[in-house]
This record gives sequence, structure tokens and C-alpha cells, in this order.
Amino acid sequence: MLKFESVSRIFSDGTKAVDNVSLHIKPGEFCVLLGPSGAGKSTLMNMINGMVQPSSGKVKLGDLVLNKNNLITIQRRIGMIHQQLHLVPRLSVLHNVLAGLLPTTGFWHSLIKSFPIDKQRHAFQLLDEVGLQEKHLTRRASELSGGQQQRVAIARAFISNPEIVLADEPVASLDPAMSRSILDSLKTAAKNHGTTVICTLHQLDYALEFADRIIALRDGKVFFDGPPHQLDIETQTNLYDLVVSPTQKSERAAA
Amino acid sequence: MNTNAVKSWHNWELHQAVTPKTIIVLFILFILFSISAHNTQIDKAAVETAKAGLSVFGIGESDVLAGASRFISKAFPIQISQRTAVNRLNKFDRDNLPLFSYTEMGEDKQYDALTETWTVEKSEFLVEPIGYLKKVLIKMLETIEMGFWGTVISIGIALPLGILASQNYSPHRFVYTFARSWLSFHRAMPELIIALILVLMYGFGPIAGVLALAIHTSGVLGKFFADEIENAPPGPQLALASSGAASLKVLRYAVFPHVYPAWIAYVQYIFERNIRTATVLGIVGAGGIGMELKGRWDLFDYDHVATILLAIFITVVVLEYFSQKLRKQAL
Repeated sequence: MLKFESVSRIFSDGTKAVDNVSLHIKPGEFCVLLGPSGAGKSTLMNMINGMVQPSSGKVKLGDLVLNKNNLITIQRRIGMIHQQLHLVPRLSVLHNVLAGLLPTTGFWHSLIKSFPIDKQRHAFQLLDEVGLQEKHLTRRASELSGGQQQRVAIARAFISNPEIVLADEPVASLDPAMSRSILDSLKTAAKNHGTTVICTLHQLDYALEFADRIIALRDGKVFFDGPPHQLDIETQTNLYDLVVSPTQKSERAAA
Repeated sequence: MNTNAVKSWHNWELHQAVTPKTIIVLFILFILFSISAHNTQIDKAAVETAKAGLSVFGIGESDVLAGASRFISKAFPIQISQRTAVNRLNKFDRDNLPLFSYTEMGEDKQYDALTETWTVEKSEFLVEPIGYLKKVLIKMLETIEMGFWGTVISIGIALPLGILASQNYSPHRFVYTFARSWLSFHRAMPELIIALILVLMYGFGPIAGVLALAIHTSGVLGKFFADEIENAPPGPQLALASSGAASLKVLRYAVFPHVYPAWIAYVQYIFERNIRTATVLGIVGAGGIGMELKGRWDLFDYDHVATILLAIFITVVVLEYFSQKLRKQAL
């Protein structure tokens, strides 16, 4: 459904962030993008939601070629989970989730925060799926813990029934147990709604555990693409060396 | 030769806090300030204040103290009753006096401007024990209402202009510049000047006062609003905008909740300020208690003036107390 056809992106300073990448992502896949910082993960993601235009090649969503003219149509078909959460701190949890519906809500309705009942129920269902309770609905987002905020962000990404959810480092600042639980919520939500998820991660073990498909990038090029079980030990070691930062490695060696 | 060679600390350059240059600069500043102080009569103020201080202890005479005692001796006790000559009342029903009021005989002084003489005649007065206080309080209420509506209209002007004057939500650079300069223009005109002009246009009364307050403070509020919108964290805005939401909706959901507490604080400050300002706007005829104050002041009725000043003081203190409480509730 989502196709990259020999896509490249060269920035104005001459760096090739993405270099001749061709991918075909099938509906409902849980794809994990792996790679060190600067490998082109974020650029690849931003080309899907139209924030970055490819220098050459095409990104296709269904039959639609992504470009500036159909940017809004595309953004409406995509949900995003951002690295720094980006919830509105002083807005209630419920309205943070419903804010994901703003593009399709009438202006006056959105002005007085009036959303249809079935949309509210949908939000309830999603919040329940990611493990939040009724008591959280009226809390301000800033009153929740980091993990709970990330769950709200997941619910917001799914509220507009997107075809694709992009998750940029969704567990970057969380402890391992919480990270697993969040990724589990994300995967469950994706399976329940048949949504494609493209997720960048830094942790190889989470990728092996949750991904349907791992796409590993190095210097803007794909050097591994396939399900986790196809990863042989050698590639795993390679990936591990690439992905895990030196400090993390020394910590693990010490442990 | 290596210029980066490490110098021994014995050879480090000494740093002097006070140099001849400092002394010259300070001397020039002193002369300039002296000239300016003389222009603004700071020297005279110091002399007069010192004289007043001495004459409190019975040493010498002081004009300052004389002026103060002229006011204070007439100001207390403050005037809260109202005496009106019966023959000046249109409707006077001897059998049906207002509550708590009574009549008494007294002398009625009248000034004849043609012959420049005072005529004294005996007449009957209607005395209302708290009549004047009541009048002042009604005027004070009008003043508060002026401050309130001035603030409401000011928000009405400042909100749209503030959005247009914020760099990230203005539809065009030209609109942004225009809105910013419009707000500056509002801010630059003092209320009293606006009120003077508006009194010419709308006549005496609170309309001129309310509009003057609204115009001036909308310039202040609008700038505050715009600055707050510009300083809101970009993350949530970007998140909503990248989901395809229109910019006004982003403003509503990602910016308003964030700037709301600051806005409440600004509005509260402007409201308090407007009430304080509304008390003096009457001096140019723009309604409120200032009109009464000016009238009484010109008649040398300092006891009435004292009542008015006390009413203003108490009102401002009480309102600040309540608006603090209200603010804590709103957050």
C-alpha cells in the first residue's frame, strides 16, 4: 500500500539523508526502522507525512503520489506519535485524544469542544485499549506520568482511523518495562484496527520482539529488510554495533 | 616566537575598577543630572520638604504644610450626609420624607455674580444622614462598571488583533505589521487624551470614559496576547498541524490552553488598572466618580473630597483582594 520507488533525499549541504530507497510496505504491517542517528530514519518518516519532499523518486500511498498539492489529504490518512509526545499539557486527556479529529471537525464545533457522541465513544474505546481508565479522562495531560502520556499519544494517533501510524522513537525516554508495555499497546491497537505502523526504535531487542518486519538503515541505504526471524547472528551483531551507542555498550559490558 | 606561551601570573595585567575614564564619565553624568534635576525642580522639592519637616517641630513656616493643613482641616470629619434647601427640591412632601431624613432650619448662602455679593437668607433644609455617601457609592459603582465594560470591549478588540499581530498566526506579513502598529497606536494614546476627544464626540458621560479605556488598554492587552501566542511551545502546535488541522483550530487546541493562565492574569491586571483610571477620567467629563471629585474640588468642599477618596481607596483594595481570589479559582 505504501510504496517508496527509488527515493532519494539530498539536503542543501550535500548530505544524502536517504539514498535510492525502494520499499513496499503492506497493509497492517508493524515495521520497525532501525539504524544509528543520521541514518535517514526521520527523513524517511517525514517523507511519508509530507514534511520533507523527496529529491528524486516517488512516495506512493495507494495510487496517490505524495506531493505538496495533496498534503492535507495525506496528513488526514496518517496518524503520528512524536518523540517528545507533543500533547497539549493543559488540555484534558479526552480532548487531547479528540484533537486528533480536528481536521474533520467543523470550525464552530471545534471552537466549543463539541465532538459527536460516537467519536467520544471511539476515544473511550481507544483509551481503554491502551490501558487508561475513566478517571484519567478529565485529567490534564501534564498530570500524567510519561508512560501514560505516551499512551494518550497513541490513542490520539489512532482516533482518526488512519491507514498508517508513524511513531518516532515512541519509547525513547521510558524504562524497559514501560517500553515493552507501550509497544505492546501500540501493536495491539494496530492489530485491532488493521493499521500499518512504521516505528523508529533504538533498541534491537524490542525490534526483534515486536516487529513484523525490520528495515535497517545505514547512511541512507537499506542494508537489511525482512522479518526478525530471518536475521542471522552476523547481521544481528552488525545491527547491534550500529544501533547501540558506545556508552550503552560499555554499560552493558559492565553489567 | 610562540605568542601562546603561558604567562606567569606575576606578569598578568592588573585590572582597575575605577579609572580616570570612569571618573570623567561620572562627573559628566553628575552635571547632566544636575541640570535635569533643576529643570524638574527637584532641588526646590528637597528644600520645601525639608522646611515642612522642620516646621512640623515648630521651626519656621512652610507653604507645603500650610497647604496640607488647609486640606486636612476641612477634610475631617468626612462628609457623608447631604443637606439640600427645601425650596430647591422639585418634589418635596413634608409628610413623606425619605427614610431616616429630617428637616432643619439654617442659613442659605447664595452668591450673586452680578452684584458680587453674598446674600444670606433663612431657609429650611432637608438632611439625609447618609445621603452623600449613597451618592458617592452609586457613582463608585458606575466607575467600576466603566472599568468592567472598558475591559470587556478591550478584550473584544485585543483578541482578534492579538491573533493577527502574532507572527506565527498572522495570515500575511503585511497584516502582521499593520496589526502591530495599530496596537502600538492604541497604546500610545493616553486615556485622558482619548477621553477629551471622545467627550467632544459623544458628549459628557460614561460612554467617552468606557471607550477611552477600551481603546487604550486594548493596545496593551493585544500586545500581551500576541507575545504570549508567539511564545507558546511549538511542539503541540506542530503535532496538530501535521495531522492536517487548520491553523485556527491549532490555535484553539494547542495555544489557547497554554496561554490561558497568562491571559487571565493580564486581563485581571487591566481590569484593576481600568477601575483606577476610571476614577480620574471624570475630571475631563468622561463619567464616573471623577466628575463628582472635580466638582467638589473646585468648590473647595474638601470634606466631600475626602469621602470620595476614601471610597476610591477602599474599592480598589477590596477589588484587588477579590480578583486575586477569583484568579486562583480560574486556574
